[in-house]
Amino acid sequence: MDIQNTQSQMRKGVLEFCILSVISQGEVYPSDIVDKMKAANLNILEGTLYPLLTRLKNAGYLSYRWVESNSGPPRKYFVMTDEGHTFYEALESTWRELADAVHALTQPSETTLSEENETTL
Amino acid sequence: MKKVININFQGRVVPIEENAYEILKQYVDSLRQHFANEEGKEEIINDIESRIAELFAETLKKGSTCITDEDVENIIKSMGRPEDFDDEEGRVKSQLGGEQEKTSSQQSYTSTNRRLYRDENNRVFGGVCSGVANYFGIEPLVVRILAAITFGFSFVPYLVLWIAVPSSATKVIGSTRKRLFRDMDDKIIGGVGSGLSHYFGINVWIARALFFIPFLSFVAHFNRWEFFGFPHVLSLSFSPGATIIYIILWILVPEAVTSADKLEMKGERVDLNSIKNTIQTDMEGFKGRAEKFGSDIKERAQGLGKDFSPKAQKFADEVVYVAKRNSLGLGGVIALIAKVFTYFILAIVLFSIIISLFAGGVACIGLSPLFSYVLGDGTETALAWFGIILFIWIPIVGIIIWIIRRLTKAKRNSALVRYTFVSLWLIGLFCFISLLVSLRNDFRYRNAAVEESVTLSNPKIDKLEVLLTGYNKMVKDKSWFNIEPFESFDSDTVYVPNTDIRIVKSTTDSFYVTVVRVSNGSSKTEANELANKITYSITQKDSILALYKGIPINTTDKFRNQRVIITIAVPMGKRIKVDDKIAWKNNVQVCINNNNWDWQHDFFNTDDLNWESNKEYIMTEKGLKEVGKKFDLSDDENSYDKDESIEENKQNLDELKHDIEEKQREMDEKKRELQRQLDDEQRRLDEKKRELKLNVDTSGLKARTQKVVAVPKKEKNQFKEIDNGLTPSFINTI
Repeated sequence: MDIQNTQSQMRKGVLEFCILSVISQGEVYPSDIVDKMKAANLNILEGTLYPLLTRLKNAGYLSYRWVESNSGPPRKYFVMTDEGHTFYEALESTWRELADAVHALTQPSETTLSEENETTL
Repeated sequence: MKKVININFQGRVVPIEENAYEILKQYVDSLRQHFANEEGKEEIINDIESRIAELFAETLKKGSTCITDEDVENIIKSMGRPEDFDDEEGRVKSQLGGEQEKTSSQQSYTSTNRRLYRDENNRVFGGVCSGVANYFGIEPLVVRILAAITFGFSFVPYLVLWIAVPSSATKVIGSTRKRLFRDMDDKIIGGVGSGLSHYFGINVWIARALFFIPFLSFVAHFNRWEFFGFPHVLSLSFSPGATIIYIILWILVPEAVTSADKLEMKGERVDLNSIKNTIQTDMEGFKGRAEKFGSDIKERAQGLGKDFSPKAQKFADEVVYVAKRNSLGLGGVIALIAKVFTYFILAIVLFSIIISLFAGGVACIGLSPLFSYVLGDGTETALAWFGIILFIWIPIVGIIIWIIRRLTKAKRNSALVRYTFVSLWLIGLFCFISLLVSLRNDFRYRNAAVEESVTLSNPKIDKLEVLLTGYNKMVKDKSWFNIEPFESFDSDTVYVPNTDIRIVKSTTDSFYVTVVRVSNGSSKTEANELANKITYSITQKDSILALYKGIPINTTDKFRNQRVIITIAVPMGKRIKVDDKIAWKNNVQVCINNNNWDWQHDFFNTDDLNWESNKEYIMTEKGLKEVGKKFDLSDDENSYDKDESIEENKQNLDELKHDIEEKQREMDEKKRELQRQLDDEQRRLDEKKRELKLNVDTSGLKARTQKVVAVPKKEKNQFKEIDNGLTPSFINTI
């Protein structure tokens, strides 16, 4: 049970939620998602992103459209469907509950740890 | 200096270094493998590819002339390698509750669709045992213990499973293709050693030593190695096994020509180079490669299978079936093992046929100097040469060519070539048969045998020792075929040790020796002539009878099975010894019945004597007896001595007893005699008494009686002395 493993497990759990939240803000290009997440200090491999997007798209939560680019072939932009919004909202409420619960549990005993957790997530 | 190629990548023309292209290709392949079971596989790959293409375009826009290794590596790093995906992805998928769960390396294979994998994460050697344990849902330790106990039996199946069964790691991660090539840049002979060293990630000199040391020992032990020594051929040490494997690999394994080949050969684990755990990668090295080595061979088997019979095709299909990692039941594995074993046996049989043909061919060529001593000039010699070349060497060459063409996947031999080979072989067969017929005629007749006696200089000698002369103390020739029956040959004469020695009982009291010269020939006259030409010297010097090493045969008087039969007659009580150098190559016959014998070649010892050379024999009434055989064992001698001494003591005792009895008898006699004397005296005394009474002369009577009584008293004492004195003295002596 090493620390790295636990940390990556924690991060993984919310990865999908984070990606969905980025897409929910508007039409987006996959590499932009990576950049945004990187800016928020949440690293993700691009190679992981594509299969996830495809799966979400196949599940009906996302759709995409081709956007002509000035250099080279058209690019694929992803946008959230109505179904996806419902799905995202469900996830969001779950996340709120979870964050509150974690906050409530960790706050009285140890403040630094919970803070660290929040910044990472 | 690097080669740059242009590729059309997702609708963009990208100038890329050849090496970088190979890395990219392998990366995409590994992705393809990773997402093989994914629903939108093509879409995902396409997305990733177009993103990579975009990144390439960005790099080129910055001013680079082409895409380098480094660029590709950086892009791959940011995209992530398949094995990195697993960590991040596995969880996401399970959350989605979407697709089937992939068999991850941490999970044991409890899924309903159970497959046999080698468990690389829980392995001791190749993970076969834990894989089997997972398959049957039992404790790996149990399987391991069973495998260890039955090591001798389970070793080969273990290897086969190791090679045939895919690794769980490759299933999950998606393997790089590392292939076996011959490294032409770093070769000594064929580059096999360096190629193998790349493949298994070992030092090149280890691979070379593995081939070279057995080769050296093979050369050093060449004489002791037997052509048909089955285990020798297989074992890597002390045998040509390593050499043969080298040659096979040399033929089978392709050269690394293109840079792609070289990359694959060296297997820079391009897309498996996990940044996270390099140590684990290193550990994985040998095992993983051994497994891939197996699948490589399978691929080749597939290629070969196309050329072989439909049966082989089926086999190859099955192998490919395994290689494709379709659901592989244990039954399939067992059937595969059985098939591999069968083909292995067939290969061994084919191999031994070739080897024996080859040995025969070499032996025939080696014997060629001797042809002129046997074969007639002209036709026979020509027939022999044609026979050897066409009858023996043509099939060897044909089979070798066939094998090489099969292995190199050359097109089928043209009919013309095939028919040429067959007809040449038939001509060879014809030559061979006519040679045999011709030789049969040459040997058809036998001469009229005449017995001639040899004069011995000293026939009355006690002992005769038969020796061989003319023998040079030569270096024991360790050549790997023995030239039989020729003893030795120089430019014009060979010596044939065709001598039979008969030992019979002499009718007189002296040794005598007779010789019969025998020969075959194409006619009776020729046979007689040849027999008369035999000069065979037998000389006696003191107790040594010297025979010459062989019958000289020259090229004009051919070898026609010339033979001398030497009969040595040994008189009664005389000894004979035959040197073992003679017995080694000549027949020694012991026969007693001097009459009624003909000169048969198939000798039988007419005696039940177990004849041995180099031992002295003595002629007795019943035949030859080995001298000194009775006292061979020292133990017997001792016990015999003991018996003797006991016997002697007993005898002594008997004698003494006898003495005692005699003395006793003497004593009794003396007693009786004295008694008689006493009685006589008494009687006389009585008579005197009566006389005295009659005479009535008292005074004179008294004096006389006293005198008479004194005498017997003295005698009585004397007797007592004898009685007492004798017995103790006797007892003492005993």
